[in-house]
Amino acid sequence: MKFTKFVTAAAVSLMMAAGGASADEKKPVVGLVMKSLANEFFKDMLEGAKEHEAKRGDYVLKAVGMKNESDIESQINAVENFITQGVDAIVIAPADSRAMVPPLKRAMEAGITVINFDVSLDPKAKEQNGVELAFVGPDNRGGAKLAGEALAAKLGKGAKVVILEGNPGADNALQRKLGFEDAIKEGGLELLDSRTAHWETEEANTVATNMLTAHPDIQGIMAANDSMAIGVVKALESAGKAGEIQVVGFDNIPAVGPMLKDGRLLATVDQFGRDMAANAIDQALEVVKGAPEPQGWVKTPIELVTGN
Amino acid sequence: MTAAVTDTAGKPGSKGFSIRAIMREAGIGLALIGLIIVFSLASEHFLTANNITNILTQITINLILAVGMTFVILIGGIDLSVGSVLALAAVVAGKAISMPGLGPAEAIALAVLAAMVAGTLCGILNGVVSAWWGLPSFIITLGMLNIARGAALQISDARTIYSFPVEFNNFGSLTVWGLPVVFLVALGLALVAWLVLSRTVFGRLIYGLGNSEEAVRLAGHSVFWLKVAAFTICGFTAGIAAIIYMARLNIASPIAGSGFELNAIAAVIIGGTSLSGGRGSVLGTLLGAFIIGVLANGLILLGLSDFMRQMITGVVIIVAVILDHYRAKLTKG
Repeated sequence: MKFTKFVTAAAVSLMMAAGGASADEKKPVVGLVMKSLANEFFKDMLEGAKEHEAKRGDYVLKAVGMKNESDIESQINAVENFITQGVDAIVIAPADSRAMVPPLKRAMEAGITVINFDVSLDPKAKEQNGVELAFVGPDNRGGAKLAGEALAAKLGKGAKVVILEGNPGADNALQRKLGFEDAIKEGGLELLDSRTAHWETEEANTVATNMLTAHPDIQGIMAANDSMAIGVVKALESAGKAGEIQVVGFDNIPAVGPMLKDGRLLATVDQFGRDMAANAIDQALEVVKGAPEPQGWVKTPIELVTGN
Repeated sequence: MTAAVTDTAGKPGSKGFSIRAIMREAGIGLALIGLIIVFSLASEHFLTANNITNILTQITINLILAVGMTFVILIGGIDLSVGSVLALAAVVAGKAISMPGLGPAEAIALAVLAAMVAGTLCGILNGVVSAWWGLPSFIITLGMLNIARGAALQISDARTIYSFPVEFNNFGSLTVWGLPVVFLVALGLALVAWLVLSRTVFGRLIYGLGNSEEAVRLAGHSVFWLKVAAFTICGFTAGIAAIIYMARLNIASPIAGSGFELNAIAAVIIGGTSLSGGRGSVLGTLLGAFIIGVLANGLILLGLSDFMRQMITGVVIIVAVILDHYRAKLTKG
């Protein structure tokens, strides 16, 4: 008697659970795979995505971040977990533009909509794996060129500049370096030195100080992110050259606000990280609902930010 | 028994050992002088007043961390957490300094105190856990590396803290006769550490612990508290380094200091302190920090790529350890 009661209760609750699940199934599940959440840029992006989920209310967001920028292993695991969970879409900012292609191919084969944002997957790797996938993201090269042009306009032809690069091997670091070099070529500037400070403030401070010693005639410094630009500005202040030498950065993090205002930083570039994941999720949901997949490169907005 | 302990300690107290100790550091000193000569000849900018000021500023943080690390390595331990502890101390201090309603002097005092307390607490934790359970400090401090980094990110919400009082920032770039004040702080710390290690009973026991834990125990001293003390000193110096970091860059970043532990260990090892403990000195560490700083500065002045710089620094570390191997044989024989 007791046993049948128990079985009935169990069956009922099972049915209810199943009923609940089918009601929820109407809401598509989007798996968001990001890079390091220790990075303000991705932290902002995650918050933007969460706000977006609450605002739209017609999908379920599952977000995963990583320990650090080069933690490719965790990203691959995250994609595989999402495949197992059977999410409707995976929206990913790849940690490595080559290594992430095979796991994403498996996701696509499992019928999951994949949207690549932030950093573009490598075209060659895509071709080798027979994957066709659009890229939704900013033009890092174009953005860096904007910053570089602002510097060139301020300094004039023939001015001597140096570049502080991001992590060697990172695609956005490379694109920004190329963008700076485009601006240098077009603006007729002279590039004295270009080396990495690994996106890091303290290292940028040291490297910039030593560059100033090696090349006392530097007139402008291009930093591939704002964290490094802060280190450069501090180096100039210590050397008594603040305001004499112009600095441009990239990312528009809050900490450079005061520096833009008083001119210690000439310009930076905003790529609206807060909206970036949200935009990519919008794209993914369209495709899930039956819209055609995006093609090629869907460019997201970038903007030059100056003090005035 | 105590006499036996201090004798094997190789500290420069008694005459015989002071000559050997000087021999040890003389080699590193010569290597540093050699580097300076090469860079002076290769670059006209190297031996200028400005560049010397820059080098001193640039080695300050590593020197402070390395002085604390010397204590830990002398007892045969290692502290992998100092870079993360620096970040945690900086973030805690950054929160303190930007508390509303504080005057600049109070805010700075509170921040300095907060950084020192945060660093010291992490050090105590490292020491107590590894000494109480007799666990390898390599593993315990690896745990602390993650704990402190996670805590720094959690407290700051992964955001850079900025906008500190002007006075604080001015301190970071202040110089006296071309000597950066932050470097003088580091030099002061090194001097105190040198006196403690070479002129006090506590210092002798630190060396003794690295040579023979059993001997120290039999002599009636608490091995537990000595170990805790060494790690506490190391944590404290990470707190001091955090303040210097903030004063120099005027930000407190939760991702600051990653990899600093390896630079500090490298300075200690290049300085001739044995990784198995018991042998070495703060003077060696000072010279080791100089060698790393001079290399980093000089190679950029020569226009060498960063990858080359990494490779050369790696070679220097290995050569230093090989030299130390022979030096240890010579001084024994």
